Amino acid sequence: MKLEILQNHETVRTAPVPEAEALVDVRHLNLFYGDKQALFDISVRFPKNQVTAIIGPSGCGKSTLLRSLNRMNDLIPGVRVTGEVLYEGVNVYDPQVDPVAVRRHIGMVFQKPNPFPKTIFENVAFGLRLMGVKGSELEDRVVEALKRAALWGEVQDIFKKQSGLRLSGGQQQRLCIARAIAVEPHLLLMDEPTSALDPIATQAIEDLILELKSRYTVVIVTHNMQQAARVSDRTLFMHLGVLVEEGPTEELFTKPKHPYTEAYITGRFG
Amino acid sequence: MSEPLLSKTQGGDPWKARIDRVFARALVLPLFLALALLSWLLLDTLYRSFSVQVVRSDVGLSQTFPLGTAWQEALRAALLQEGYTEEEAEAMLKDSKELRALLNQNRVELMWNTHEGPLRYVVTGSYDERVLDLPLLQGLRRWEELKAGLGEGERLVLNPWLDQTFFTRFPSRNPLIAGMGVAVVGTVWVLTLALLIAIPVGVGTAILLEEYLREGRLNRILEVNLRNLAGVPSIVYGLLGLAFFVREMGFGPTILAAALTLALLGIPVITVTAREALRAVPESQRQAAFALGATRRQVVFRVVLPAALPGVVTGVILSAARLIGEAAPLLLVGAAAYVPFYPSGPLSEYTVIPVQIYLWVSQPQPEFARVAAAGILVMLLVLSGLYLAALYLRNRFRREW
Repeated sequence: MKLEILQNHETVRTAPVPEAEALVDVRHLNLFYGDKQALFDISVRFPKNQVTAIIGPSGCGKSTLLRSLNRMNDLIPGVRVTGEVLYEGVNVYDPQVDPVAVRRHIGMVFQKPNPFPKTIFENVAFGLRLMGVKGSELEDRVVEALKRAALWGEVQDIFKKQSGLRLSGGQQQRLCIARAIAVEPHLLLMDEPTSALDPIATQAIEDLILELKSRYTVVIVTHNMQQAARVSDRTLFMHLGVLVEEGPTEELFTKPKHPYTEAYITGRFG
Repeated sequence: MSEPLLSKTQGGDPWKARIDRVFARALVLPLFLALALLSWLLLDTLYRSFSVQVVRSDVGLSQTFPLGTAWQEALRAALLQEGYTEEEAEAMLKDSKELRALLNQNRVELMWNTHEGPLRYVVTGSYDERVLDLPLLQGLRRWEELKAGLGEGERLVLNPWLDQTFFTRFPSRNPLIAGMGVAVVGTVWVLTLALLIAIPVGVGTAILLEEYLREGRLNRILEVNLRNLAGVPSIVYGLLGLAFFVREMGFGPTILAAALTLALLGIPVITVTAREALRAVPESQRQAAFALGATRRQVVFRVVLPAALPGVVTGVILSAARLIGEAAPLLLVGAAAYVPFYPSGPLSEYTVIPVQIYLWVSQPQPEFARVAAAGILVMLLVLSGLYLAALYLRNRFRREW
């Protein structure tokens, strides 16, 4: 099969998300790194309180799309964006919107666990302190976040003393999730959160994602199609910066409509 | 039968291995030579800081006092010997101003050995005269002979030049009572002020370059200039300090001018090391903080700088160690030759340890070489302390990311 960049591709949509149910509404998003275009006219809606997975081969722009939701791409010099990303009805790329405020409302978890070299408590408290939370409220919310990230049982005796860097890889990643959800974001972005973890830690994180779904909207980028099938409600398939197909996970994996999607999920490329 | 790929008999060319060994040794040899020379220098300095002396007091009998004696007692006895009455001596010891003057003119010191026995206090007055000054071993060999030949008002002592009051005594024309008190205080003043200026500027520059101006021409230009500045001979900074701070700004030969000059000398080094430390903080740390909604300032001051702090502090200590040893620029900006008082503020005259050592070395009396040796030992001790602190910090807080 010969793969090419899809020119002027119309995204194949199965059971599209109605506007009322969408937390994030991406409209005609184009993104350029300097002269190089990385995202081509992407329009997609991310439904509230559901898990949406983004899959695709390396370099297809999954992470770029994810990072453009909370304007993390702004930190890279030479990035230019056109189109809109409506988050709860507000375009986050509106010139009057402060990117720092956007990032405060949207949590993010990275590929490699990256706790700060501080105590577990200080790690989780970091975002809360930025928001000016103090005293007993700070403490309560840190404990609450650790509980929700399913880490409390393991660290309740040591969380004020031990450095976050001395936890195991899986625990570190859950700590990063606790840190992200401590500030009560509505949207949680995960950029291949289990790619650096062993299978048991991965399973713990996946269970956690399914639990978090009731409170947060989750968008997860993953390399692992089985993982997407296990945790997500909807799936986006991207190829070389183009959103090829999107739909409910079941449908997309069992009855892919676009030949590229089918080729990718059956393992013929990627 | 085909040749086996790996055979034990082939082994490899023995000459290659031999040449490798010779090269490795040739590379290590200079290092060992340098270390051996340095330790020889250190031991020699140590040896020179002891001597056996015969000293003549101009007045009265040269007396020593047993170990338990309070120094006030010793001083009082010395005063009585010089012909003061009981009341006068008492009054002089009571008055703090008089006492300070007395201590400047009289060195009350524990000598390791004297003609009256080991470990006794001796009061050395500013008019005491050296009769004989012998190196340690020679002196010990001739000890009995010298002791037998002592004349009226003469005493024989084993003088450790680096002793406890060496740090508090004032400079003097008489090497027997010269000390480095003023130089120590001057060094503390100059170094503190210089670091107070250099740390914020140096670390600030590093943060600006590394966190705010990552790319861009300005960054590259500053980078090149900083590395060049770090290699400029220090005497050039001295000339700059002389022309600008001392003359143009009119500070004169004061602590402030010296501190500013040394700060200029320290800033490039601090900046370069602080940059390395900041660069070592992984990008993922910054990303994590940004994703939590931190502004760039918060990212820098709450995440990156704390994580880089051990490296930054190490750099500061190493540059402090360099600044302590600088004599050349300070000679130009007026570290004075003879300052018989403690500096009272940033605008007073001063001298520093290396300049004081330099001045002692250039004195004609042979004992000043011994005083200088003691001064060098002090300086080496301070420097080793700083280097050990840097080493400890680097190992204690090294992080695996």
